[in-house]
Amino acid sequence: MTDTPLPRPLSLLAEVTYRCPLQCPYCSNPLELNQYRDELDTETWVRVFNQAAELGVVQLHLSGGEPLVRRDILDLVRAASGAGLYSNMSTGATVVDGNRLEQLREAGLDHFQVSLLDTLPESNDRLAGAPSFDRKREAVLGAKRLGFPVTLNVVLHRQNLDRIAEVIALAQAWKVDRLELAHTQYTGWAFKNRAALMPTRGQLDRAHAEVERVRAEGTGGVDIQHVLPDYYFERFPKACLQGWGMVSMSVAPDGFVLPCQTAREIPGLEFPNVREHSLEDIWERAPIFQRFRGTGWMPEPCRSCDRREIDFGGCRCQAFLMTGDVTATDPICELSPHHHLVAAALEEAAQNDPPLHYRVMPRAGGAV
Amino acid sequence: MPQPIATPVLAPGTRYRWDKVRNQHQLVFPEGMIVLNEPGKAIVQLCDGRTTDELIAVLKEKYPGAEPAGDVHEFLGHLAKRGLVREGAQRD
Repeated sequence: MTDTPLPRPLSLLAEVTYRCPLQCPYCSNPLELNQYRDELDTETWVRVFNQAAELGVVQLHLSGGEPLVRRDILDLVRAASGAGLYSNMSTGATVVDGNRLEQLREAGLDHFQVSLLDTLPESNDRLAGAPSFDRKREAVLGAKRLGFPVTLNVVLHRQNLDRIAEVIALAQAWKVDRLELAHTQYTGWAFKNRAALMPTRGQLDRAHAEVERVRAEGTGGVDIQHVLPDYYFERFPKACLQGWGMVSMSVAPDGFVLPCQTAREIPGLEFPNVREHSLEDIWERAPIFQRFRGTGWMPEPCRSCDRREIDFGGCRCQAFLMTGDVTATDPICELSPHHHLVAAALEEAAQNDPPLHYRVMPRAGGAV
Repeated sequence: MPQPIATPVLAPGTRYRWDKVRNQHQLVFPEGMIVLNEPGKAIVQLCDGRTTDELIAVLKEKYPGAEPAGDVHEFLGHLAKRGLVREGAQRD
């Protein structure tokens, strides 16, 4: 331990449900969705939001799954707003109409973020596994009419990356405030589908050039966020969450608290639950939040590296998925002894065009 | 070079917030936050439909002897570049 004061979390990701009408093949939810059906009730979420505000959380991200399938979603938004949190909602926007949007606005929702899978309606609907393009468009336009700041989030991969110019044009036509050009993060379902989703270097170079061209000519009022995928472009790993237990925490639908939303896929880790402990207790004392905090846990080559407080060893989930060792240096780093795995993954993706595995949520009773 | 803002208003979803845990003035917006000092807070709270000139006049009254015009233009320009402040409706 060091003498640095314990940081306080700035953001809380509340995955209020894993249920979702869409089947996106890059979903960051766990593969074994059926294991996690015991969702927190309204009262517990309200308590969590109040505790989060007390702990110093500024940004609340209401996500899922599809947060709007919760019947108490307006109560949750009201509670977040009442606690003084800045509330963001990430939604597929297929189960929302003008009336519900107005109710969300009145409940105090600050920011509305809609996912879009592709600019071609038939491709969007195929990737989502459900007709959804028209509803997404209606939701974006409706949210803008009500005065919400709207972000359009488009996850990019081999099958849609060549349409990046159309993506930007659509964001401009729909007058969204922000466009997140989000290259697929290879965890959850996306790791399973990596070989089918990984774009080629040529695709990425063309996409990068297109974004730069638009930026030079003017984005038409759309704030474009574009971070290139680390498999191709980085010598060093991204500072994922600035390390676990530093700035953010995630609460899963069943109340387990994770240092990162995809961490529960790493076997052998124990997660605390908001049903048994306060968020403050968890942040300050739960072993999983302490284990990777700071630099003391690091192996070589991180331990003696000048960049250890710049990238914090990279992404723990990616390190585990690629090497089987959660404490390993993120293989994206050129100094990692596992760095060859990155080239191998790109090679595999270049030589294969496997079918996509779609996220499927088995139907069962007992859902909230 | 962009024109100086004549009538600064906060962008949709951008708002001032007092952080009682950190004892900080903050400007919060989708996916982000910046910490404001006292003058920054004063400027942000005056981005309410009045003109930049009127905003400067208020600050001059509040802080006698100060010449805030340069700082105000610079700060508003910075916020505008980040999309947090926009040109509001022009008054007749």
